[in-house]
Amino acid sequence: MMTAAHDDAVALGRTLGVALSDDEIRRIAEHLGRVPSATELFAFDAQWSEHCSYKSSREHLKKLPTEGPTVLLGVGEDAGIVRLGEWQGETYGIVVAHESHNHPSQVVPFEGAATGIGGIVRDVLCMGAEVIGVADPLRFGRLENEHCRYVAQQVVDGIAAYGNAIGVPNVGGDVFFDSSFDDNVLVNVVALGLVKEKDIIHSRAPEGSVGWDIVLVGKATDRSGFGGASFSSLTLDEDDAEANKGAVQVPDPFLKNVIMRASYAVFAALREQGLTVGFKDLGAGGLAGCSAELCAAGGVGAEVELERVSTAQRDLPPEVIAIGETQERLCWIVPPSFTPTLLALYNEMYSLPRVARGACAAVIGKVTDTRRYVARYRNETVMDVDLEFLTGGVRYSRPYTIAPVEIEPRDARVRDVEAAFPPGGSDLIGRLRAVLAHRDVCSRASIYQRYDGVVRGCTAIPPGYADAGVLVPIPGAPLAFAVGIGGNPRYGAIDPRRAAELAVVEAVAQVTAVGALPVGLTDCLNFGDPTIPEQMGAFVAAVEGLSEAARALDVPFVSGNVSLYNRSSSGNHVAPSPIVGCVGTIADVTHTASAALKRAGSALFVLGVPQLAYGGTVIAEVAGLSTRALPQMDYEGFAEACAVVRAGFERGFVLASRDVSDGGVLTAIAEMAFGSLAGIGAELNHTDAFFVEIDARGRNWTNNAVWFAEFPGFVCEVDAERAAAFAELAAKHGVRAREVGETIGRAELDYNGQRAPIAELRSIWDAPLRDFYGASSGPS
Amino acid sequence: MAAGPRVAVVVFPGTNSEDETLRAVRAVGLQGELVHWSQPEALARFDAFVLPGGFAYEDRIRAGAVAAHDAVMDPVIEAAQAGKFVLGICNGAQILAEAGLVPGTGPLRLPTAAFAPNASGRFQSVHVHVKLSVTLDRVPILGGIEDGAVIPAWASHGDGRLAAPADELARIERDGHLAFIYCDRHGNPVSAPNGAALDCAGLVNRDGNVLAIMPHPERDGWTFQHLDDSRDVARGDTAATLAPSGGIRFFEHFAQAVRERFSA
Repeated sequence: MMTAAHDDAVALGRTLGVALSDDEIRRIAEHLGRVPSATELFAFDAQWSEHCSYKSSREHLKKLPTEGPTVLLGVGEDAGIVRLGEWQGETYGIVVAHESHNHPSQVVPFEGAATGIGGIVRDVLCMGAEVIGVADPLRFGRLENEHCRYVAQQVVDGIAAYGNAIGVPNVGGDVFFDSSFDDNVLVNVVALGLVKEKDIIHSRAPEGSVGWDIVLVGKATDRSGFGGASFSSLTLDEDDAEANKGAVQVPDPFLKNVIMRASYAVFAALREQGLTVGFKDLGAGGLAGCSAELCAAGGVGAEVELERVSTAQRDLPPEVIAIGETQERLCWIVPPSFTPTLLALYNEMYSLPRVARGACAAVIGKVTDTRRYVARYRNETVMDVDLEFLTGGVRYSRPYTIAPVEIEPRDARVRDVEAAFPPGGSDLIGRLRAVLAHRDVCSRASIYQRYDGVVRGCTAIPPGYADAGVLVPIPGAPLAFAVGIGGNPRYGAIDPRRAAELAVVEAVAQVTAVGALPVGLTDCLNFGDPTIPEQMGAFVAAVEGLSEAARALDVPFVSGNVSLYNRSSSGNHVAPSPIVGCVGTIADVTHTASAALKRAGSALFVLGVPQLAYGGTVIAEVAGLSTRALPQMDYEGFAEACAVVRAGFERGFVLASRDVSDGGVLTAIAEMAFGSLAGIGAELNHTDAFFVEIDARGRNWTNNAVWFAEFPGFVCEVDAERAAAFAELAAKHGVRAREVGETIGRAELDYNGQRAPIAELRSIWDAPLRDFYGASSGPS
Repeated sequence: MAAGPRVAVVVFPGTNSEDETLRAVRAVGLQGELVHWSQPEALARFDAFVLPGGFAYEDRIRAGAVAAHDAVMDPVIEAAQAGKFVLGICNGAQILAEAGLVPGTGPLRLPTAAFAPNASGRFQSVHVHVKLSVTLDRVPILGGIEDGAVIPAWASHGDGRLAAPADELARIERDGHLAFIYCDRHGNPVSAPNGAALDCAGLVNRDGNVLAIMPHPERDGWTFQHLDDSRDVARGDTAATLAPSGGIRFFEHFAQAVRERFSA
């Protein structure tokens, strides 16, 4: 039905510059039976954006496994929660949230990256949790490009400025550099919290909450971040760069620091009084989005008086007050009897108004039983919509095509490898030097040293000391957990589906390499324009890959995020980037260890089976291999290898471990030596026993390139006296474990007589990013 | 709990290390409590004070400068002048310098030395060791500490570079205000990672009752936090892994001093 009112609505939408399509606006006008107000149009613009509604992705995300015995709270709220363990009769959970701040970080990298942390931290906080860690997967463009250099510097500065100030340790993350990110940086953030199962607060108005107060807490509302949700769901255009800057929020980590602490005090007061309340952070869609979702989830309605909102400027238009995405704000739904306590904690004990001008906690509305969202401003109703219609969003089944991945036949792969690594020996140490200097392998110390990795005093393994950071979140308890990150864009560019599988495997392998049991996954899916079938196809394929890997390894997804439209106006799409975080638990922190080689005379084992698959590897780039073959998946074998490593840690066999990833086995061993305070090196002398493949004709085939192969597997330093027992353990699990050498008391890498001092290799590894980011230094 | 000395861990807007600092204070047997900036009157009943790390008042003007003028510092300054023990770590150290309590050679709240932005211009978090570099009579606040004691810690700050006019630096060195310098794990002096003058990691006042230390011993105060062999040695022993050790020794000496003073 086309009416004049619909056309007026569309015209208004176009005048206001909302990102809603004409059809979407007509649907809204049809539902309301009138021309929507500006506030309403902006509210729908945010709620129906890709960012909020997952309108293109939702039908595919349903494929992911999300249930299991380790899940305390699954997908659906601001963050998921996995079981950490029991301590003193209480069940503790780790809250896991994952967010992207790609578009803002491209436009204003410092603020964009900072508010990325700010936003995700609130998602964890509003579950009733203490925020105890963050980790940042970063994908930068080439540092040869001047603007990319600027972005890469500013993003790190922004993360440091925010995370350090709020006092949440940065426990990991990863960094890749690739030309596909020249115009679209990827800034993902994982945030972690600690909560007792019985103290979880849900993002919904509780049962029986009609008549309760809606309380807005935080920074005074201003014009910053207006239109952020729909901006995140658009293709970035150079010409709009200046205009887009206004859509990015302004961070205030110092205020957040105080709000977090005040909220912890509120949690304590709620526990004391045994109250169930609703709590949610203001993110995309601002106050209306947040309070609408709280009330919709509780099956109630809301009446909000916008002039009660503390504003930084006079006469802000109602749509800005309602929808603007000013940072550092949260929304409570509490019984009126608790409101004075809540206000006193924020406004007096923690004196928000003294900390930042206009910051406060204030009652701004009431919960109703109407299931409608009504907002008034100066006695005028500016919004009156059905909550389900507003928050139910829209769905699209976007057409997609999944391009078949061509892999060269085995003979061609053999020729490719043998051209670069002629049979009969080659200068492996020389190759290692080139690999260590590679942008995706070299030391990240000069980045993570800008982040506080040890604030809160719960860090058992800080960033850089192992594949995964380890936290001991409950003082006095031995319970620990690790966080790993996977997602190699070079794999993504070849085969999004296999890249997604390998991202899960990498994240799981990292936590395993500190002895942890993977209990939950979180994903951030960064892709191009979903209206282009090939880009949508890459997304669909990646989700299928994530699903298959998670099911095969029996680790559920508990949270995630989708970031589409990572495409610049010049048509440059990001490499399909499914980025996966894994939380792994360690029942007793005494069984974990850093990746540093510990002592001379230990056995060095390699677990797992290398394949003739060098596609997307570092050595392929360094040695000029042209192959596109990625490893075939053997989930059962990988899971068994993980079981062996974990048992090896628990029984004290394994002294240190790294998973085999960028740069392969030789790189992993070198990095283990770099971490050694005692100056321990490695002698690789059982090299014949290693990496002999049986080819299709039953002949042995091996090649030195296998030292750089990237495959699901591990390097383990094993106590010399337990080496036999470890080999036996591996055999019992059917895991291929080869002893390739031993650790030595001199700081040297010795491969069958080819030698290099560890200090020399380390200086090569240290140099590239140190020269870019500034000074770094090793363990003291 | 039996009556004993009470230690206030003072929280400013922007403090972020209060929990681990309180934990360290309690681990050495002191009765520690958090006291917020909004409750300066509560500070009167405490026997000693610890100012923990963070970014008080956003580190506006200079790190610690605004906090030094906060009303909550009035009772702390009074206590310091009355000879009570006051320890500042990281941001707390910066606040003590800005309050003029360390090195304490000038008037109150007119600093003679400050912790300026790191030479790199950036926040940096690195593991370090610090070494006691004054004679024992200069640090009564660290009761029973041994000559040349080496303490592991994390230098996690953006503004840790001691800066002062040349004559003030000479005074700091000559009059025994240079309480701690940076060193390696064997105690050999090393350059300060932040470019601090005199490679200074900590300053003490004239009477030895106010100590400012930039690195955080409380973040390497339990075996599971150590990066050296001691952790490897404790592998498989849960109690040993969770036990306080390393940086906690710094707090043990502080506790000894506070207890001795209290019973005196």
